[in-house]
Amino acid sequence: ATEVKVNEVEFNPKFVCRMIPKLEWSTLVQAADQLGHREELPGELVPDYEKNEDFLKKVHRVLLEVEVIEGCLQCPESGREFPISKGIPNMLLNEDEA
Amino acid sequence: MDCDVVNNMNAATRRTKGDKKVLKKQQKASHTLLKHEGISTTSQPTKSLVVANGGLGNGVSREDLFAAVNQFGDVESLLMPPQKPYAFVTYRFEDGARKAHAQLNGKKLQSGENSVTFYLSYVDSVKHREEALVGFPEGLTLVEDFVSLEEEALLLAAVDWSMSNEAQKALKHRRVKHYGFEFRYDNNNVDKDKPLPAGLPDECLPVLQRCLQDGLINVLPDQLTVNQYESGQGIPPHVDTHSAFEDTILSLSLGAKAVMEFRHPDGRAVPVVLPERSLLVMKGESRYLWTHGITPRKFDLVPACEPDVGSNSGLTLSKRGTRTSFTFRKIRYEPCCCAFPSACDSQEGTSPYPPSPPSLPCCHADATLLEEEYVHRVYDAIASHFSRTRHTPWPHVCRFLSSLPPGSVLVDVGCGNGKYLGVNPQLITVGCDRSSALVQICAERGFQVFVSDALSVPLRTASCDACISIAVIHHFSTLERRLAAVRELVRLLKPGGQALIYVWAYEQEYNKQKSKYLKDHDKQHNGEKSKDTPEESQESHEEPSVFTTCHVERDVKDASEMTEGRLSVHTNRTAFNSQDLLVPWHLKGRKTHGEEESSGRFSSRGEPNPDLDSSMSSDTTHSPDSKPSPSDNMCQIPGGSSVPVFHRYYHVFQQGELEQLCTQVTGIKVQTSYHDQGNWCVVLQKE
Repeated sequence: ATEVKVNEVEFNPKFVCRMIPKLEWSTLVQAADQLGHREELPGELVPDYEKNEDFLKKVHRVLLEVEVIEGCLQCPESGREFPISKGIPNMLLNEDEA
Repeated sequence: MDCDVVNNMNAATRRTKGDKKVLKKQQKASHTLLKHEGISTTSQPTKSLVVANGGLGNGVSREDLFAAVNQFGDVESLLMPPQKPYAFVTYRFEDGARKAHAQLNGKKLQSGENSVTFYLSYVDSVKHREEALVGFPEGLTLVEDFVSLEEEALLLAAVDWSMSNEAQKALKHRRVKHYGFEFRYDNNNVDKDKPLPAGLPDECLPVLQRCLQDGLINVLPDQLTVNQYESGQGIPPHVDTHSAFEDTILSLSLGAKAVMEFRHPDGRAVPVVLPERSLLVMKGESRYLWTHGITPRKFDLVPACEPDVGSNSGLTLSKRGTRTSFTFRKIRYEPCCCAFPSACDSQEGTSPYPPSPPSLPCCHADATLLEEEYVHRVYDAIASHFSRTRHTPWPHVCRFLSSLPPGSVLVDVGCGNGKYLGVNPQLITVGCDRSSALVQICAERGFQVFVSDALSVPLRTASCDACISIAVIHHFSTLERRLAAVRELVRLLKPGGQALIYVWAYEQEYNKQKSKYLKDHDKQHNGEKSKDTPEESQESHEEPSVFTTCHVERDVKDASEMTEGRLSVHTNRTAFNSQDLLVPWHLKGRKTHGEEESSGRFSSRGEPNPDLDSSMSSDTTHSPDSKPSPSDNMCQIPGGSSVPVFHRYYHVFQQGELEQLCTQVTGIKVQTSYHDQGNWCVVLQKE
């Protein structure tokens, strides 16, 4: 990523709690790491995270506040890069790729 | 302060708020008249006045305007330029003009079903621009009073409509019946080897004998098509197929008059009034080259026939009644060898005029091209205007969204301007759309979105608790692609997850209730202000009608005007006459504050038009690039300004079709299926 922004978003612990089970944790950590925004996010999910406000705040930050404005997403299998511009990823495939 | 100044100030404040408002509006009207029409008003009283909002373009009839102005003095002339939102009145004496100004300025007038507010200003001179007397197209003759009242009644009674198509009735389409030979609308030709058992009705014989005797025809026709048009119905412009019929075509108009428009390939347009009991004879150029059509309207502009005051080319509004036409033709057996090969299917193969519409694609590559041209490029071009017309989430969709457990992962495939992304903030929502311009709008609103194709959504399989796809799948031009879109939604769902799909319905009138899309058409024609812009078509704030089963015949192709596989252009706010079509979108530029005011009114927006909400703002969202513009054409609206028109491809779904499509996907069950304001809707659940 060439441009990353950190927004301020209202912290809603319940919402973050509900998000966590839906995530692939290791992928999230890897992504945060690549952006240079890992910031103490543990490599593995903390047990009893529902009550761990500190932890939830870290997750909140990475999930909802850190935003890639300019950069790209790379497919781990094919290496194909999808551009992110103005915060919007463009995931369209070319005619020959579909 | 000076005494005088104080007095003046007091005088000024004594002018009521109401007066000030009227003055302001009058000044605005004057300014617009000058800016857009080159009409300069003067503050000094003269004999002539311009009446803003008193024009034919406002739906004001000559009779009503005359009645309004005549009471103040002798009217020397009354000029009502066609389709303009103003008129000119010249009094014999200045006194009349003064009185009229004092009494009518800011006053409301009821004309027919319209209510308008007049703003009057003095003008120095009224330029009489005599309308260039346009002659009839070559080969066209109109014979008035060709049949008597008795004959008219007999002919109308001779047609047995009891066997008419149920689908046509349900769709408020014009009624059609053929005699002699069946005219096929799928290829615009006739089955020459399969004559219909009944020939032409006996009642027609005297009329046809008369045509022979009068030398209008040499040979008796052997095919008859009876068309019945109710007010608001019409027929798209077309040339009668050369190879199907011989030269002379006769058309007898019964029951009511209507205006038929003839158009030459070079752009010339000639409106022809067809009075009741008149016979239209089309030969030569008018039959082979000019197109003819009847605009679906409830009112026509016709010449004012009374020896009225002043101008000799006065026009007035004529309300349409139910008109029945008897069109007599002679079947052609030899190939056509006319002098107009450009429009001839015997000689050239295809007629380039009107411009060839695209055909339904038969393969994936063609489908992609069609959708690129008639969906993606269009949405990118109209994005901001489109977004402005999509602001109210539909109640049923909201209900679905609100019913999802908090923390559910939702994807909105084809999210458009993000209308539904914020409805339930307790959900983890992500949206995607094919149009970067629309996705941009979502991002600006703070939503998590990305650009992607609905057939290939870059989310993990079974990662979503719910999906919605509102008004998306009807943009796919083949069955396979529509099916693929549903499959993709299902792939994204976790087991037990639900998807809500909305598509535009072929049946706009359901359970005897018209959808808002159709209702607004009537509203506009009656001059009422419609809360939504014309394209707020399928968007509705109303609750869906409770439905019971409504049987609609599938045999809809009969009613279509298409040649095999070709896409026809739909007329907005009328019933659909085919499932695959191009729907026009009239692009409007930046809203000026006048957009809140009713359409058809004289406001700072400029040229109003009772049928088309238009803006003369030069600030349109046209991107000046070297690529050919996705706008198929510029639509010339009355008043001279041009509005770009785009066409979007739609496949509108018939009742049960969406359900059937879903059931072809394994591993799902359709939970509910309903009709919601002109849409067919389905909730499916992944097993």
